[in-house]
Amino acid sequence: MRPHAGASLSRRRFLGLSAGGAVAGAAALSGCALQVSTGVGGSGETVTVMVNSGDILPEQVQQAKKALGIKIKLVKYDITKLIAMLTGGNPPDLVRGVGAVDLPFFAARDVAEELDPYFARSSVLKPDDLDPVNDLWRFDGRTQGKGPRYGMAKDFSQDSMFWYNAAAFDKAGVDYPPETEPVTYEEWLDNARRLVQRRSGQTTVFGGSFNGLTRSTLLATMTASAGGSLFNDDFSQVDFTTPEARKALTWYMDYAKTKVGPSLIQPDPNGWDGPTYQAGRMAMSNSGYWMGGMIYPDKKLAEVSRLAPAPLFAGGERISACQGGTGLWMPRGAKNKDAAWRVFEWFFGEEPAKARASGGWGIPTLKSLRSLMPAEEEYQKRVLKVQENELKHFSVVSFTPYTRAEALDALFNQIAPAAMNGQISVDALAGRLNSAINEQLKRGKEQVG
Amino acid sequence: MTVDQISSVADRPGAAADTGRAPAAGGPRISMTTRRHRAFYMFTSPWIIGFLLLTITPMVYALWLSFTTFDGISPHWKYVGLGNYRELLNDPVTWDALGRAGLFAVTSVPLSIAAGLALAVLVNRPLKARGLFRTLLYLPAVVPPVGAGLAFKLLFDPNSGATNGVITFFGFDAIGWLADPYARYVLLMTVLWAAGNVMIISLAGLQDVPRELHEAARIDGASAWRTFRSITVPLLSPVLLFQTVTGMIASVQTIMPLLLAPLGDTSGITTVPQSNYLYMMHVFAQYFALGRYGYASALLWVLFVLILIATGLIFKFTSGVVFYNVDPEAKK
Repeated sequence: MRPHAGASLSRRRFLGLSAGGAVAGAAALSGCALQVSTGVGGSGETVTVMVNSGDILPEQVQQAKKALGIKIKLVKYDITKLIAMLTGGNPPDLVRGVGAVDLPFFAARDVAEELDPYFARSSVLKPDDLDPVNDLWRFDGRTQGKGPRYGMAKDFSQDSMFWYNAAAFDKAGVDYPPETEPVTYEEWLDNARRLVQRRSGQTTVFGGSFNGLTRSTLLATMTASAGGSLFNDDFSQVDFTTPEARKALTWYMDYAKTKVGPSLIQPDPNGWDGPTYQAGRMAMSNSGYWMGGMIYPDKKLAEVSRLAPAPLFAGGERISACQGGTGLWMPRGAKNKDAAWRVFEWFFGEEPAKARASGGWGIPTLKSLRSLMPAEEEYQKRVLKVQENELKHFSVVSFTPYTRAEALDALFNQIAPAAMNGQISVDALAGRLNSAINEQLKRGKEQVG
Repeated sequence: MTVDQISSVADRPGAAADTGRAPAAGGPRISMTTRRHRAFYMFTSPWIIGFLLLTITPMVYALWLSFTTFDGISPHWKYVGLGNYRELLNDPVTWDALGRAGLFAVTSVPLSIAAGLALAVLVNRPLKARGLFRTLLYLPAVVPPVGAGLAFKLLFDPNSGATNGVITFFGFDAIGWLADPYARYVLLMTVLWAAGNVMIISLAGLQDVPRELHEAARIDGASAWRTFRSITVPLLSPVLLFQTVTGMIASVQTIMPLLLAPLGDTSGITTVPQSNYLYMMHVFAQYFALGRYGYASALLWVLFVLILIATGLIFKFTSGVVFYNVDPEAKK
């Protein structure tokens, strides 16, 4: 029997109607939610950029509107939100990414736009002006560093280098590390042991921090420095049991066990080295040139701070890789690609790039901007000299496209503390890491196809 | 005339004429029952639509995901049937995390209920500045969990925290509070710190206990403890049952220790000490650090079913001891 107007609304009918309403509502919501690329706006186009706070400052947004006639809409970078936006078909027009580890992952999943045609017709970003670090943003479907460009680094550092506080060395009577020749990892750890200060079981001054940008890039780089490779040829497996990887892993476990610096079993409450180093509570910090941006404004700290080359293993190869190369990429599904490219050019080649270069927060990724690196003060000149020398040893350590660095770090974080606490041996750790990480890589490879 | 009598008059044929309302000209006649049903559904529909959209839809979607290898972004995910469920049955990390969550629930829920009840009994007494004490004790419960987590992280930092500052001041060695085996105690302290929530509900329950029962017990010579045990606790038992059920559900879903983790990115979830790596942290890690949306959804569905079973068991085993102070005639 068909219900007639005014008939009592049965529960079943009501719930049916509610479900219909819910579906319609969901459709409406999915249409509205994450609708970020708005195309042409009132006074110009709008480009949505997903970045961290501080990557693009509010005054730079105003500057872009004035200089380009483009409105930049900032969205806070959040990987879960990004994935939701990509899945929903409404990605931002430009997205922050860490070239060294994010690019292979996104490019292999075919969600990143190839930018070669844009670079070819750009008068701002000329291919011969690009620093080799930008090769981190190239991927040929298998190997990083080759093939089309998918993005560009905003600045970079060689992330195995370290800063040290000369006053802490003086206090402990330890010789300064040389500025042109690297110390060995063993010497670095020995120095850290001598520099650490403890009282009643508390570490009052860390001897040194050495954790890389991520644990996976650190160990990949250290393995390369020992003359090996953490990944196999097609990046579908890791092997921590090779002599080179084992050497890197053993050193890192020793570092953690001796508790000379922050680690998984002795976390730094600040979460990163900056504030601890600034407060004089850390003698050495494994950070690249970029940390100068934090150090220089504090003249007292700047005068006692020195930059030193990336350590190497005794008898090993001198490798000084960039583990980051943070920059921007353009999703394939971006709605406003031409305007996004104009913002891309502005961000990497115009005012924001110049401001970054002169601030000391990293090495510019355009060779033409190198002259803007800070060199007025004596300490800045000294740091620049060390950095220029280190660039001769720059290399790209390729990363797997089958998972994100965070996934490898998450697995490492779960497994490694047992070895750091001396509950399992390095060999047992290597076996467990191989098993867990290779399972993750296998799943990733199946998904990429 | 009672409310029921009014309804029955309104529902009988010709009620509109009786009550002075004319039926719509030429339109269908709408009974009072229909009107009442319609009004009921109109008032409840925002909640029902919200429930369908924001609870049922994600649950069904998560159920579907749990049968796939979907990772949120890759093009070649596939349907694996019960594969994720089979994997979790054989995953020791999952079982360990579930065991720790269960242990955390059976420890933290009784402790927080006992602490909250003790505080409620204290501030229910005729004290000077009772309102001030009630406010002060409830205050930690209104501090956002993020703030509370960060405060605990700073307080218990082994090298620069105030707790170790006091300990070393008295000549003892510092304690690694944020690492095993102490991290679990810090976690328990974060839960107990917010016992004001339990206190406020217990206090409301205490104020509902008829004073004359206490007076009668006192006249009969019952001690304070006997009065508490034989009068207060039975009359509070529905409140305590409510707190047990909601506390159990909240505690197995706890993700607060994330804030005690040293790393800020999604991989940071796995940096929590092993004793605090609870089930929901495992779920979070699978979703957002490892990108295993299918497996993580299966974990969530298993948790949902386990919570249903645990809730059912709590009701079953407490049915004989929970005292509902209602008029038996009212049930008829």
